[in-house]
Amino acid sequence: MFKRSFLGFGVSEGRMGRFLVACMALGFAALVAAGVAAGWSTAQNERHTRDVNHTYEVELAIGRARVLTEQSETARRGYVLTAKPVYLATYRAAMRALPATLDRLAMQTRDNPRQQRNLAMLRQSIDDLSRQREVTIALTGNGESARAVTVFQGESNARRMLVLRARADAMVAEEQRLLAQRDAAQQSSVRIFYATLAIAGLLVILVAIASLLTVRRYTRDLATSRDALRDFADTLEEQVEERTADLTRANEEIQRFAYIVSHDLRSPLVNVMGFTAELESATTEIGALIDRAEATAPELVTEDARLAAREDLPEAIRFIRTSTQKMDRLINAILKLSREGRRVIAPQRLDVTAMVETIAASLQTQIEQRGATLAIDAPLPGLVSDRLAIEQIFSNLIENAVKYLSPDRPGHIVVRGKTHGKRVTFEFEDNGRGIAPNDHQRVFDLFRRAGNQDQPGEGIGLAHVRALAYRLGGVIDVTSELGRGTTFRLNLPKIFVDPTTAATREPQQ
Amino acid sequence: MTDHKSVSIVMIEDDEGHARLIEKNIRRAGILNAITHFTDGTTALDYLFNSADGPQRNGPALVLLDLNLPDMSGTDILAKIKSADGPLRRTPVVVLTTTDDKVEIQRCYDLGCNVYITKPVNYESFATAIRQLGLFLSVIQVPDIEPQG
Repeated sequence: MFKRSFLGFGVSEGRMGRFLVACMALGFAALVAAGVAAGWSTAQNERHTRDVNHTYEVELAIGRARVLTEQSETARRGYVLTAKPVYLATYRAAMRALPATLDRLAMQTRDNPRQQRNLAMLRQSIDDLSRQREVTIALTGNGESARAVTVFQGESNARRMLVLRARADAMVAEEQRLLAQRDAAQQSSVRIFYATLAIAGLLVILVAIASLLTVRRYTRDLATSRDALRDFADTLEEQVEERTADLTRANEEIQRFAYIVSHDLRSPLVNVMGFTAELESATTEIGALIDRAEATAPELVTEDARLAAREDLPEAIRFIRTSTQKMDRLINAILKLSREGRRVIAPQRLDVTAMVETIAASLQTQIEQRGATLAIDAPLPGLVSDRLAIEQIFSNLIENAVKYLSPDRPGHIVVRGKTHGKRVTFEFEDNGRGIAPNDHQRVFDLFRRAGNQDQPGEGIGLAHVRALAYRLGGVIDVTSELGRGTTFRLNLPKIFVDPTTAATREPQQ
Repeated sequence: MTDHKSVSIVMIEDDEGHARLIEKNIRRAGILNAITHFTDGTTALDYLFNSADGPQRNGPALVLLDLNLPDMSGTDILAKIKSADGPLRRTPVVVLTTTDDKVEIQRCYDLGCNVYITKPVNYESFATAIRQLGLFLSVIQVPDIEPQG
């Protein structure tokens, strides 16, 4: 369960990172788009202003042309009626200024064919008009004023002026139309700009919200996984404690069972051994009787009777005896084991280094006989535990190491220890004959032994060690390679806690 | 109720084989007192307290008691015999059993057991122990039972 949640967490972390980068990229893209839109809009605006100015200039030029035309007309009329030269001068000045104004208008509207066409028609009207005027002016200049007035009256002058004005108006209208068109374009570009800006802004806000949510979820996931991790660490310790408690309970049960069984097996065994002894003394008597009978009355003694008394009976009794003795040893071993298990554990502070040194000293002769060395990786971590039990475990393991050294090479045994938090691991390493992989668990079973049976023993030592280790809330395991050596690893709580008191304390927590 | 009355031995032992071996070895030690054998607690108690020829009405006795009985615990019998105002409270009780549990031994002595012997599994030791018990029985003084009422 925990493993899966960790895995899930790892995946989401990578996905989250990619998502955040994507969000940021999108946000930046939106900002760039907004910037480009602003630039484009400014350019549009500038062009539009220029166009508006242009329109006004064109309108101004048209207005000027109209004014000049009207002015020249008024001046001509004055000259024809009064023949005063001052009017003629005014007329000439206005007519001189008119072509330049028209030329500038042509320049300004050169990109617009419609205005060009309008302008051409305007020029036509002005030309027609000025030809008429020249006729009346010439007549007035010759002194024929009355004739000039008649010509003037006949020349549908006013109508010509009206046409001219309409043409100028058409040009203005054309410019106004263009202006309206440009205004519309300007409006739409402004709308596009605002739309772009709004979309970019919305995008930035969305990205910001998404990023914020993701980061928040990530933080929450992080907190959750941290909590899970902490819980896991807590439960791990609990699990270890629970497991050790289970082992201790199972161990206790087995020992109670062993005690009852061995105890009840003892009663019948007492009978078997007792009556075998009775049988033996009876056999001695019968043997003596056969001897006497042979001496005094040999005809009474059959071959079968003699064989039975002298060989069969003693042989049978001998086998019964050796078997019962073996059984007695085994029962005693179980009893010893169970008694050890029932013993009250008295935890006290132990100097493990000194203890191992004492054990090494007691085994010194054996170690020297075998040409071996025993190294203690001092100082070994101290313990608060039961002295007798720890002594028993250590001496059994060291004795075993000495006992099963390989004759092929000088033996070397190392005892070392290490503290991990609330627990201590001791290692008993040797370069002895080793244990085959099949036998790694078997060696801890009662009455089971591994390898050549060339050493005395009942197969009790390691069973005893394991039972004691469980009793002290510890575990023991072995790593070994046949022919290379063996390492026993003993893991014990640094401070022994009685599982029965620990169990009663637990529900209160 | 005279001093000349011989002490009878009451053996409470559920294992017939053990009983037989104990009896044999007691006889071998030269003790010829009558031995009455019971294989369960109920009949043994009935004999001790109620029987016409039982110790309460009929002279001094010594009890050999096994703790592992089919119908009741040997310690219950011990407690009944040794109860403070019981008529048999001065009767010597030898607990002879396979139990060698320290707590159990202490409990027996607390209840007033006079001797506690663990049956050795090794027969030679067993025989020796019983013979020594026989020697011990031949020298101890057994108090009279106080007549009732």
